[in-house]
Amino acid sequence: MTAVLEVSNIRKSFGGITAVDGVSFDVQEGEILGLIGPNGCGKSTLFNCILGQLTPSGGEVKVDGKVVTGLRPSELNRLGVSRTFQLLQVFPKLSVRENLILAGQEHQGNMMSRLLGPSDAGLTDAADRMIGFFKLDHLASEPAGGLSYGQQKLLDAAMAFMGGPRLVLLDEPAGGVNLTMLADLRERLAAINREMRATFVVIEHNMEFVMSLCSRVMVMAEGKVLANGRPDEVRANPAVIEAYLGH
Amino acid sequence: MTGAAKYWRIGFGVVAIAALIIVPMNFNRYGLFILSQWAVMTIAAMGLNLTLGYAGQVSLAQGAFVGIGAYTAAIMTTQGMPLVAALGVAVMLCFAIGWILGYPALRVQHHYLAFVTLAFSTLAFLVFRNEDWLTKGIYGISNIPRPAIFGFATNRPLPFYYVCLGSLGIVSVMVWWLIRSPWGRAFVALRENPIRALSLGIDTRRYTLMAFAIGSALGGVTGTLYAPLTQYIDPVPFNLSLSLDLLMMVIVGGAGFFLGPFLGAMIAVLLPEWLRFTEGYYLMLYAVAVILLLIYSPSGILGIADRYLTERRTKAASALRTVAKARLEAAP
Repeated sequence: MTAVLEVSNIRKSFGGITAVDGVSFDVQEGEILGLIGPNGCGKSTLFNCILGQLTPSGGEVKVDGKVVTGLRPSELNRLGVSRTFQLLQVFPKLSVRENLILAGQEHQGNMMSRLLGPSDAGLTDAADRMIGFFKLDHLASEPAGGLSYGQQKLLDAAMAFMGGPRLVLLDEPAGGVNLTMLADLRERLAAINREMRATFVVIEHNMEFVMSLCSRVMVMAEGKVLANGRPDEVRANPAVIEAYLGH
Repeated sequence: MTGAAKYWRIGFGVVAIAALIIVPMNFNRYGLFILSQWAVMTIAAMGLNLTLGYAGQVSLAQGAFVGIGAYTAAIMTTQGMPLVAALGVAVMLCFAIGWILGYPALRVQHHYLAFVTLAFSTLAFLVFRNEDWLTKGIYGISNIPRPAIFGFATNRPLPFYYVCLGSLGIVSVMVWWLIRSPWGRAFVALRENPIRALSLGIDTRRYTLMAFAIGSALGGVTGTLYAPLTQYIDPVPFNLSLSLDLLMMVIVGGAGFFLGPFLGAMIAVLLPEWLRFTEGYYLMLYAVAVILLLIYSPSGILGIADRYLTERRTKAASALRTVAKARLEAAP
């Protein structure tokens, strides 16, 4: 197994507050790593540092052995690193299909071919397959803004997979999603992980969701890594119970 | 879109184009001038609609680009060069300046960006007025010739109207192509959610600059037609109020709608003429009409149509769902 993502000693401070304080970990190919911890422990800041949305104050990020610290999010995305957002981030006026085409269009051709080539960048079929996969068929032509919260979450996740990513960082994919849809979402993510050989890092507060989806779980507290191991090990770790899980 | 709606749309388009070709044939000189002005200003408004309506970048400088185009055309054609050459130079010049003007948009947005473009607009006006050696300053440039197209002189109002209309047609096809291409989708992404766009691999920096450059280049196209249309230019028509007029055309017509600029320019150019019978009150009536429209529909005239169509579609969809549900329940 090779490491898809290697994070070494990442630090990020905002003024006097150190949000992420020397975090190191790697993620192996095909793995689903869960990232948990109390609110404000630095999970999202860590994500933003890995993804180039924030510039880390120190440390290094490697994707497939290549140093990517300091790259812009769009460059990182074209290298195969994709993400979903904690809050809804779809394009409300575009249809579901258009949202997906948009999510894939920058991954092929160049500026010229995108100007002179076909309007859908040849992605209608791929988008429709993704729509079918996430069971959004009946909504394909609806504006994304008209979808329910849970459906928009599914679309947000689907968009992250349009470019055929190597690594996907999911920020609270289950937040606000109802129970039926949650089982669906977990099953879809597990299937994509198997079929596309995509590697995931998942931030989530829903313990049942994390423990059943992830092959490994990392716990953060106050900007540092508190524990990192198999779900059952982490769940039994006294320090984790103290800081996060509660008794 | 259903098949019938598509045919309606095509039919409407054909009738509108035929009317624009045939009806003006018995217009007088003044009527043709106004209609030519509509065609020409629509092009600049389409440019601003790309920058503002689709890509979401505020610009108060579109009038300055019309000025740059107009002065390029006036200077070059009075020196005996063909208008086509002036068009090429104006488009490249405005594209390049628009690209540069896009850089502030990478740092500032909304009203801050409006101020940056406002400053540029003032700067351009000062150049038109003060650089006598180039622009003849406040005296302006007169005797601007009209072009010969494939050997046909277009000095008379009707042929030149067709030049303007033809140019509008060509630009419309190009803009239509652009907005339905992946670029158009990326522009909308810039407007709706730049952070998400970045995370999907969209080079927001390059698309923002492109939106400015292309929009500005279309302002230049308008200028190159405006100079031979009026045959005399001075700095005054290209001051800030033209930029504001163009902004109003885009917003009143409906920003982000393909046909918005056509309607907006029609209202901004034609409505004051129709209201002329009210003599001293026409500007006031015009202002009130615009205020009322924007209160009723902040997304412009096409916003009203869009709202109506969406409502109808939602009703149709929920009716379909009810039918499907009833069938499911009826099934044993």
